[in-house]
Amino acid sequence: MRVCAQELASDSAVSKDLQEVVITATRTERKLGNVGVPVTLISQKTIQQSGSLRLNEILQEQTGLVVTGGTGSNAVGGGVFGNGIQMQGLSPDHTIILLDGEPLIGRQGGVMDLSRFAVGNIKKIEIVRGPSSSLYGSEAMGGVVNIITEPVQGKSNRLSLRTGSFGQSDVVVSGTYADKTSGIYYFANYNSSRGYDLDPTRIEKTQDPFRNLTTQTKIWFSLSPNTKLTISNRFFQSNQQSYYAVNSKEINVGGKGVTSDFYMNPVLSHRINKNSTTQLRLVLSDYRFTQDLDLLTDKSSYYFDDFKQGFYRAENQTDILLGKKMHLTLGGGYTKNTIATTRYKDRQQQDAWHAFTQLETTIGKKIVLIKGVRYDYNTSFAPSISPKISVSYKVNQALSLSASAGRGFKAPDFRQLYLNFTNIAGDGYSIFGANEFSVFSLEKQLQEGLIAAILPAAFSIRSLRPETSTGLNLGFTYHFPGSCHIDVNVFRNDIDNLINYLPVATNNNGTPVFSYLNINRSFTQGVETGIKYAFKNFEIAAGYQYLTTGDKDLMQKIEKGQVFGRDEVLGGARRMTKSEYSGLLNRSKHLLQLKVFYNHTSSGWNGSLRGIYRSRFGVLDLDGNGFANMDDEFAPYYFQVNATAGKKINQKISAQLGVNNLFNQINARWMPNIPGINWFISIQIHLSHKTKSE
Amino acid sequence: MKQFLSVSAIAMAVSFSSCTKEEAAAPVSNDKTIEFLVNGNPTGGNYTFFSFADGKAVPASDSNSLKWDFGLRFETFIVNSRAGGPGNAYVQVVNAPYTEIVSGALPGYKQDTSVTQRAIKGFEWYSYNATTRQFSPIAGKTFLFVTANSKYAKMEILKADPADDNGNPVTPPTRPTKIKYTLRYFYQKNGSPNLQ
Repeated sequence: MRVCAQELASDSAVSKDLQEVVITATRTERKLGNVGVPVTLISQKTIQQSGSLRLNEILQEQTGLVVTGGTGSNAVGGGVFGNGIQMQGLSPDHTIILLDGEPLIGRQGGVMDLSRFAVGNIKKIEIVRGPSSSLYGSEAMGGVVNIITEPVQGKSNRLSLRTGSFGQSDVVVSGTYADKTSGIYYFANYNSSRGYDLDPTRIEKTQDPFRNLTTQTKIWFSLSPNTKLTISNRFFQSNQQSYYAVNSKEINVGGKGVTSDFYMNPVLSHRINKNSTTQLRLVLSDYRFTQDLDLLTDKSSYYFDDFKQGFYRAENQTDILLGKKMHLTLGGGYTKNTIATTRYKDRQQQDAWHAFTQLETTIGKKIVLIKGVRYDYNTSFAPSISPKISVSYKVNQALSLSASAGRGFKAPDFRQLYLNFTNIAGDGYSIFGANEFSVFSLEKQLQEGLIAAILPAAFSIRSLRPETSTGLNLGFTYHFPGSCHIDVNVFRNDIDNLINYLPVATNNNGTPVFSYLNINRSFTQGVETGIKYAFKNFEIAAGYQYLTTGDKDLMQKIEKGQVFGRDEVLGGARRMTKSEYSGLLNRSKHLLQLKVFYNHTSSGWNGSLRGIYRSRFGVLDLDGNGFANMDDEFAPYYFQVNATAGKKINQKISAQLGVNNLFNQINARWMPNIPGINWFISIQIHLSHKTKSE
Repeated sequence: MKQFLSVSAIAMAVSFSSCTKEEAAAPVSNDKTIEFLVNGNPTGGNYTFFSFADGKAVPASDSNSLKWDFGLRFETFIVNSRAGGPGNAYVQVVNAPYTEIVSGALPGYKQDTSVTQRAIKGFEWYSYNATTRQFSPIAGKTFLFVTANSKYAKMEILKADPADDNGNPVTPPTRPTKIKYTLRYFYQKNGSPNLQ
């Protein structure tokens, strides 16, 4: 649900949202109304009432967010790379995913698979749109998704059991035990499915069977009245059994894929005096993906892939109140990134340092101005400076305005720097990361007869620069009398230095040698709008996003008449016109959400009915002109309707029945991550130990 | 040497270009659209040879002759000249729609000067997406030939599909053994460069 920035003296559902405190926009706890940037808040109650289990399920129901279906083919080593997030039209590698404010790692093809994250331990999700690198550094180009886990508070235990279609089972056990000086929280989740098959013409399953295990623990101690230590740990493991028919009509290759991540986050917080606090935060995280496939006939090894990533960070943040009107934030830290994989030559390591500052000023009673800047330096590529400014203005009780402008960046990722891969078995092409060779090394290879020719593009190879974005957001919120409000946000993101691969040389067999270069410039722009209305026991929310995107250089070439296309697969080529340009692939022009939640407190009944719609989107470029223009290059529109009905039976027990994808809308090729119609039933047992302090 | 047969001419297509009455009456062949099944191994094996005059594949046993004009293996082109073959054929790729090409008398023809310096470089005429594994002939790339028997021809690659030995499409993880090309071409057998 989109919420926005104004306090109303009413205790309707809407105004309750508006009093919410958010942390992601400024890295300090602030009322939504004062941050000047578009923030979406998803509460635990919404997650539970929607019956969501994994992060992708709840995020796909938010205005303007698309959970991507993946672009790869479901092939050995090909991956599907689905379940990433697209925000304001920026691709999944341009949105940072945080867990309690710290970045999560483990992207495949630039995509963070959101189904890795259980939502049973989440207190709320905060989504900030627009470049946020001024606080979070790399990846925060399009925005931030911050998963905030449950606090260590009170004394309670919870057991949740769920079963559903496709042999789905989900078990959650969690609890906290806290007093005034210390506390412990635990969470464990087992989630499994037999998988599903959307395409009966293929012998492989669309989704192979999997078993996921997630655990989280959090402990905190009060070391002194002003000092607190919190240590949280996350462990995740997913086991997937995959089978393929390779050059055969029968399944002949199979094996196990294991994804795991481990994350440890100690935070030491200290209140220095009445006006200042400081925090020391550490993150130690590891991610690993292995896939080991054998030929089923003779058990010989067919394919092996091993990918290990490490992320280690130490950071300090100090917040100082300067009088009543100013709040200064200072921070800095060191990060070590490591990677080792079967696809790179050596284990790689990057060292990075960063520093940031932010000043929040309240001007009069109506205006809050926030200015921030961050500097990122590292050993592998050019440094980045990311400024941001945002302002919020409460015109009156009903209307508030917000505006923000900022820069974001994404560091070249490891594959762009270090990939060293020749597809010997497949098409014979090679791809090398930019740091893996130079024109000099190509010339040497040419002399040695290892390659056939060097192409002109090779001479523009130089060390990769980060991809950058400049984003502008302008919005307003208007409250109608009663519990209704509307909010509108207009955005524009200009993205430069996009990294893409180009052929830089020719192998002796004529196949291309690719390398990564900063080549593309693109933009995304549009409007996000939401309306929310609460009456009696109902809460109705509708959201719509209109989006246009484009590759600026390609658009120039179209204008010059240098781009051609076909009208049908076997049609002849003709010149393309500007109006035929459909923008970047995988972007839908229209996104629509409609949600109704029902809560009847006295009887304990609740329910939800949620629908999402996504207009058609380009997926293929069959005529090689860089965009989708013929019908065969688009995936059709898509809609999904989900519903739940729940009842709180007594203080301890509640039950829920739900159906997802009621109208069985499936698209095996382009949305393999969305199963057909599926049912579930769950029961939740809540045991709280009431104490006098509560 | 196994030959990789062209399937056949599947369609006779009249080009969109304005055909005058005189030309319509002239004894020249029209545009032809054919499927051409070639060896799909990028790193080895035979090229599959094509003759514009015959409008079909030429057996590999005729590789050392003037019977063919170009050969294809996976996406590698050879032309019947110098390193490519005994002929004196030329080729170039022009950045203009097929229908806009009215004459073959244009500068820029090349030959296979050596096995590593082919007249046609792959990515001149296709794009490859390593993520989706989509291999796409670029619309608006027109091949102009001076054939082995010194006639003019123009050609457009409409489609290139990974296929099995029988020409049926295959999808990953199954690897193609053949690539099925769909080609549209115009062969001017009267020797003039007129390609309308």
